[in-house]
Amino acid sequence: MKIQAIRHVRGFDVARPISIGAMLGIMLPLVLLPLLSIFIYGTSSGLGVFWSSLVAPEAVFALKLSVVTSFWATVFNVLFGLFSAYVLSRYDFWGRNAVIVTISLPTAIPTAVAGFALLLLWGKYGTIGRLLSEDQQIMFTPYAIVLANIFVTFPLAFGVIKPVFDTMSRSLEEASATIGATRWQTFWHVTLPSLRGAIVSGALLTFARAVGEFGSTILVSGNLAGRTQTAPLYIFAKFNEGQIEAANAIAIVLALLSFVIFSVLFFARDWLEFEAQEI
Amino acid sequence: MTPKMKLAPDSGSLHVSWAPEREKTSGVAASVRGISKRFKKVQVLEDISFDVAEGESLVLLGASGSGKTTILRIIAGLERPDSGYVILHGQDVTDMPARERGVGVIFQSYALFPRMTVEKNIGYGLRIRHRPRKERRETVNRLIELVQLEKHRKKYPWQLSGGQQQRVAIARTLAYKPQVLLFDEPFGALDAQTRVHLRREIRALLRQVRVPSVFITHDQEEALELGDRIAVLNEGHLEQIGTPDEVYNHPETEYVATFLGAANLLLGVATQGTVEIGTAKLPAEKETRRFREGQSVKLVFRPEDVCISQDANLPGACRRLANGVIQEVNFVGAYERLTVRLDLTHRKGDTDALYEVTINTPQRMTGVPIMVTRPKPEANALRFKVGDRVAIGLTSFSVLPNYTLVRQR
Repeated sequence: MKIQAIRHVRGFDVARPISIGAMLGIMLPLVLLPLLSIFIYGTSSGLGVFWSSLVAPEAVFALKLSVVTSFWATVFNVLFGLFSAYVLSRYDFWGRNAVIVTISLPTAIPTAVAGFALLLLWGKYGTIGRLLSEDQQIMFTPYAIVLANIFVTFPLAFGVIKPVFDTMSRSLEEASATIGATRWQTFWHVTLPSLRGAIVSGALLTFARAVGEFGSTILVSGNLAGRTQTAPLYIFAKFNEGQIEAANAIAIVLALLSFVIFSVLFFARDWLEFEAQEI
Repeated sequence: MTPKMKLAPDSGSLHVSWAPEREKTSGVAASVRGISKRFKKVQVLEDISFDVAEGESLVLLGASGSGKTTILRIIAGLERPDSGYVILHGQDVTDMPARERGVGVIFQSYALFPRMTVEKNIGYGLRIRHRPRKERRETVNRLIELVQLEKHRKKYPWQLSGGQQQRVAIARTLAYKPQVLLFDEPFGALDAQTRVHLRREIRALLRQVRVPSVFITHDQEEALELGDRIAVLNEGHLEQIGTPDEVYNHPETEYVATFLGAANLLLGVATQGTVEIGTAKLPAEKETRRFREGQSVKLVFRPEDVCISQDANLPGACRRLANGVIQEVNFVGAYERLTVRLDLTHRKGDTDALYEVTINTPQRMTGVPIMVTRPKPEANALRFKVGDRVAIGLTSFSVLPNYTLVRQR
């Protein structure tokens, strides 16, 4: 087997450098160069300019708002994703599959449509919004951003956690019950530890997606600088105003943030899969 | 290979009973009364009743689909019966949730908690009962010593062998002094060699801890070795319950006879203190007493209960059945297996159906084939060739009513 492979290659394998080269050649203008240009342009007028654009009050506010709204959306979606995954994998009821499909729907809906839908529901003249008084309105406030983030990122944590529930051996929970544990004790001591990996990766995915959310946020937030302007909206606004350096500084931060999150996810995956084998 | 379990503990600390602390006056640890269960349209269990005595080990033996796992799950409280009761130490627990029953289940996959070490798995029962740390530590230490896992106490389940995992699973249930231990196919996941080794270990361990146990298995050898009593299940019915000797040597139904080891089966008629099979008459005064004259019966006997002789002189303990011809000689390891055709000619007016036997041969030859096994020394002392004429007798057999024929009439 081994000898045959070597004979077939006959000295120098031409396919190898060509395939690798072709792959990189296609990736370069499509993926790598755009990312690289953010860093090249952002630092081209000196680190001083970069730094002052970064610490501008509006920029700092936008970054903070993004992180805070994404954080709460993540907390909600992980907890509710966990709960709904538990319910949907443990109980069979009429319409269960319809619910599973519906839950996964937001990934397929354009984010602008999602934002628009939220406006129609919660806006001043919306289905629910009209019932609220003037000072209870939540559209065009940070709450609206959290709401939009929750809507758009909902399937992510659920999608990671549900399969783990489905494949988890029921006998672990049954063993815990016969030993004398209550449902809550079983969930806390037995079920949850097995979900640790899925929860971590679900949370990271949700957060990364929420921080970058643009389409739905711009519709529901009103894009008010210093009040409801998130980091992606800030980049868009500054670019429109011609302040390329300001937009670029935030772009670098967002790019780095996603890079960090996805590196963690990538390396955590090995760890998670290893953990899964232990079971 | 795992270390041998100590049969006679030499250290004093092992003399601790892991059976629940209660007055053992009734002698019945667990009892199942009239349990029935159906899943959708399939009747899985029908009117099952049995008792497990204090300190006894009962084996539920049956093929897959016989309902044995469902009985176990009903006793454990993981499944609810449609009718009937489960009683543990005199208390009706039919409507009690699994966690309040105090029953120890050793799952087929062991179901050890993967994120907990051996110690934590064993201590889990006491931890969720919020017992003081000192008591937890002492109990865990004693149990780890009992199941001889001192070297592995900090390991995770995936670092242990199958046998070690099983011992952790048992220790984990013993920690809370279970009313009864339930073993679901405990050796199913192990290779043949480990299996034999482990069931001796478990037998020794159970003798030490004196907790009543229920085993589930489809392996008849396992059942005979593990059980103080065996309950044979067939398609949701309890066919027979008794000691290994009773179910093996005195099967009450054809199913029990054929499921527990090999059995020869001949159809005959009970007449005048004999079983008449064709032209042959087997004296069976005691065995035919419960049958009326002329009743159709089945004669069941095991291959090892047949004696063969080349002249007409059979040993004293043997009752003569018929003459026959050796048709096949096979040497199968520990013993020799012979196929013998009996010279049984038809009774007048009777059909071929009377001579149906459990051994199916493709060729339709005259005479009725039976299977005979002989231990090695006997086989070596008296060798047979194909075609030899022999006399056949039986040392032990059972006579069962022939219900199928009654139904046909």
